[in-house]
Amino acid sequence: MGTYLIRRVLQAIPLLFLLSIFFFALVNIVPGGPLAGYGRSKHIRPEKAAALKRQLGLDKPLVVQYVIWLVGNDWMPPVDLDGDGIAETRGTRRGILRGDFGYSFTTRQPVLKEIGARVPNTLYLMGITIAVALLAAIPIGILSAIKQYSFFDITLTTFSFAGQAIPEFWLGLILILVFYSTLSLLPAGGMYTIGAPFSVGDRLRHLVLPVLAGAVGWVAWYSRFLRSSMLDVIHQDYIRTARAKGLSEWVVIMRHALPNALAPLVTILCLDLPYLFAGAVFVETIFSWPGMGRLYYQAACQRDYPLLMALLMITATVMVFSNLLADLIYALLDPRIRYD
Amino acid sequence: MRAIRSLCWIVPLVVLPILVAGCGPRPAPTQTPTAGIPPSAPTATPAAEKTRITIVIPEDPPNFNASIFDNGYDALVMELVLLGLADIDPYGNVFPELAAELPTEANGGVVVHEDGTMDVTWKLREDVLWADGTPVTADDVIFTYEAIIDPETGLWVPGIDYIDSIEKVDSHTLIIHYNTIYPSYLTQFGGEQMVIWPAHYCDPEQGFVAWDCGRQPLSDGPYILQEWITGDHLTFVRNPNYYQKGKPYIDEILVKIVPDDAVQKTMLVEGDADLMMWVSEAIVEELKNEPNAKVSIAPSGRWVMRLFPNLAARGTIDPKSTPHPILSDVRVRRAIRMAIDVDTISKNIFYGYAKPVWTEFFREPYVCPVPRPAYDPAGAAALLEEAGWKDTDGDGIRECHGCLNAPEGYAMKMEFMTYAEYGEPLELTHQLIAEQLRAVGIDLQLTVMQGNVLWADYASGGIEQHGDFDLNLWDDGYAGIDPTDFLWEQYHSSAAEPDAGWNVVRWINPEFDALLEETYTLDETRRKEVFCQIAQLLEEELPCILLFTTINADAHSARLSGVQSTVNDIVTWNVADWKVVP
Repeated sequence: MGTYLIRRVLQAIPLLFLLSIFFFALVNIVPGGPLAGYGRSKHIRPEKAAALKRQLGLDKPLVVQYVIWLVGNDWMPPVDLDGDGIAETRGTRRGILRGDFGYSFTTRQPVLKEIGARVPNTLYLMGITIAVALLAAIPIGILSAIKQYSFFDITLTTFSFAGQAIPEFWLGLILILVFYSTLSLLPAGGMYTIGAPFSVGDRLRHLVLPVLAGAVGWVAWYSRFLRSSMLDVIHQDYIRTARAKGLSEWVVIMRHALPNALAPLVTILCLDLPYLFAGAVFVETIFSWPGMGRLYYQAACQRDYPLLMALLMITATVMVFSNLLADLIYALLDPRIRYD
Repeated sequence: MRAIRSLCWIVPLVVLPILVAGCGPRPAPTQTPTAGIPPSAPTATPAAEKTRITIVIPEDPPNFNASIFDNGYDALVMELVLLGLADIDPYGNVFPELAAELPTEANGGVVVHEDGTMDVTWKLREDVLWADGTPVTADDVIFTYEAIIDPETGLWVPGIDYIDSIEKVDSHTLIIHYNTIYPSYLTQFGGEQMVIWPAHYCDPEQGFVAWDCGRQPLSDGPYILQEWITGDHLTFVRNPNYYQKGKPYIDEILVKIVPDDAVQKTMLVEGDADLMMWVSEAIVEELKNEPNAKVSIAPSGRWVMRLFPNLAARGTIDPKSTPHPILSDVRVRRAIRMAIDVDTISKNIFYGYAKPVWTEFFREPYVCPVPRPAYDPAGAAALLEEAGWKDTDGDGIRECHGCLNAPEGYAMKMEFMTYAEYGEPLELTHQLIAEQLRAVGIDLQLTVMQGNVLWADYASGGIEQHGDFDLNLWDDGYAGIDPTDFLWEQYHSSAAEPDAGWNVVRWINPEFDALLEETYTLDETRRKEVFCQIAQLLEEELPCILLFTTINADAHSARLSGVQSTVNDIVTWNVADWKVVP
């Protein structure tokens, strides 16, 4: 197990390295650039563009830009930052390998600071959304499996297809219209009432609508998943044996069937971990939630390369390690699987 | 059983981040609890309480320095906390801010020398203080100038190359030495994009474009930034030492980030927002019957929706050696303009709020008497016939039969491009124009591009810089009240070179170049005369086909008074005069 773990972690390093080259090429190959459509005037003055290009390091060849991004330029020969043709300025970048993700093109703030401000908000919203979704999805999944083709099952199936089909932004707007505009029960968005002292009640009131809008799709996804894995399990021999022993239906389902049916769901859950970081762009936009989804979207639209690269790399890293986590947990849950 | 026990593993994984996050972001505990207004009782503010308004904008301002990014949100918050030497009102009049008075030739503030240079003497008010009590002085102006021109960390701003040096006379007087006549001198260190920065507070090492004081500014304006929670809100409190005594009237301004405009509108209607910037025509129409909302419309538009006809053949940049087969003939360009029904576009797509515009000089202070061209599809067809574009094979699309620059039989087919970010109204306009031109026998293939592909520089493969288009449609305009920079960049022959400017239609006209030169005079009468000669020339040559201006409006709550939308600046230009009426 230990060697397996070490091997997997070591394998992740070249993978992430290759991914970084791929991402870097991708964000730069996309036509257009960070200086096009800079601001409202659409056309940036060439003099201004030239100064910004030098300051942002965009005047260098792509390969050099990548190397600087990776290992910094503080060890490189001086660069020409003032455009007079004489290289006299020492680089200050240390590169991501030394923890320097650079500065956002737009705000000129350290990228990690920008992301750091958003990660807790997204973990908070997505964590609760997924937890709520699970709380709803597990009983729904179990019930619709053991009462397969019943009225209950068919109704829930219909609703879960609807839940997956309804766009989050539409649902979000409808929820705002009903609960904010018409009923005046809940706030239209934000994480808390600005200026008010901290209160759990206030936080919860702000959570209700975004969690509801976000969770509907997840409930549908998890409950459908659990239903089918439950169906696989309850038709197996050992369940019949359990029933034959005279165990109550409750015990059969909860003690014998459910644990086995849950195992694949746990895997799925691990694979969904990156969403905890990446956030949900529509829910965040509609409910004015300062999360990662919006940051992603803005970084992509504004071609904020350092911010975009950091977001992509962080998500990729989380993705790689949640895959590893899924494998490990699966081995723990299912003793038949061993990694040697 | 083992499976269930192992499941406990997963519990901390789900719960931990929630707990961690729960202890995460908090508003700084600096405000009074009374400031919190529950959403269900939005306007219930007792008389003795502080007045507070909420401005909703879709994204964070990048910083407080609008001369760098200029997406408008930076200008919005910049106007709250920082002052320039002078600013511009919605009608194009310049008024002093930090300056004690506006320097002119008449009051001796401007001296023009025989060698074509000029000196401008600024006298600053002595009663303006930074929020830490330090007075605003001539040193701050010189510091700002030096930060801008720093070759490593500075930036190009309009007219900066025209300054040779700035000389300090005394603590509140300075002379700017220009190496030419610069008519825009009044708003060079003011207006919409520029302010004066505190020399004792900003770190010149960090540089003009990146310094921390651009994110945590030291105020000399009507408000002071109290907190900024990125992605969520910015809180501003009244500056008690603002130089205009008694102002500002409103105690606190909350700038809230609300990305979705439908939600912004709902908040305004419900009384949870007091100002929504740059509302679209559709929203202006929807707010018409809302008792809680009012709309302020700027006296004129700024962004002119226009057609850019490429005068050079696709992918080339020389209109002389490789003229565009169709668009290089001015008669074709004129016919295109005659065939477009601007009034129908305005009425059907822009709710009648789009105003027809046909010359660059439609905005105070430079308005030229160019008669409005008629919508005349029959006349357009006749003109195309005259230009040698006839439909002989009866397919409804004209071909070249004796036209100016295309081979015989060349079909009148072109690509017609616009950008995606504007959204539905522009898409519909795009389609309607194509239909109207199809009706006179011009076949257009519609393409919608991302703006930052369309306007990227030559090296990044920018479509316009490469001349890789036939006919483009988008909105352009200029900040402030001086059109010279805009005209240069759009029409001057040297701006036609790749990455030198934005004369992407490649219109080369020495007469225009010479006229533009003549506008560099302080004689306003002469200047107006020259601008109107330029207007006449552009009307004859039609290098760009101007169609209409879109609305420039800001919506505000009924309780907020004093809001006046403007195209010369941003809506918060007069924030110190705003009042909340109970």
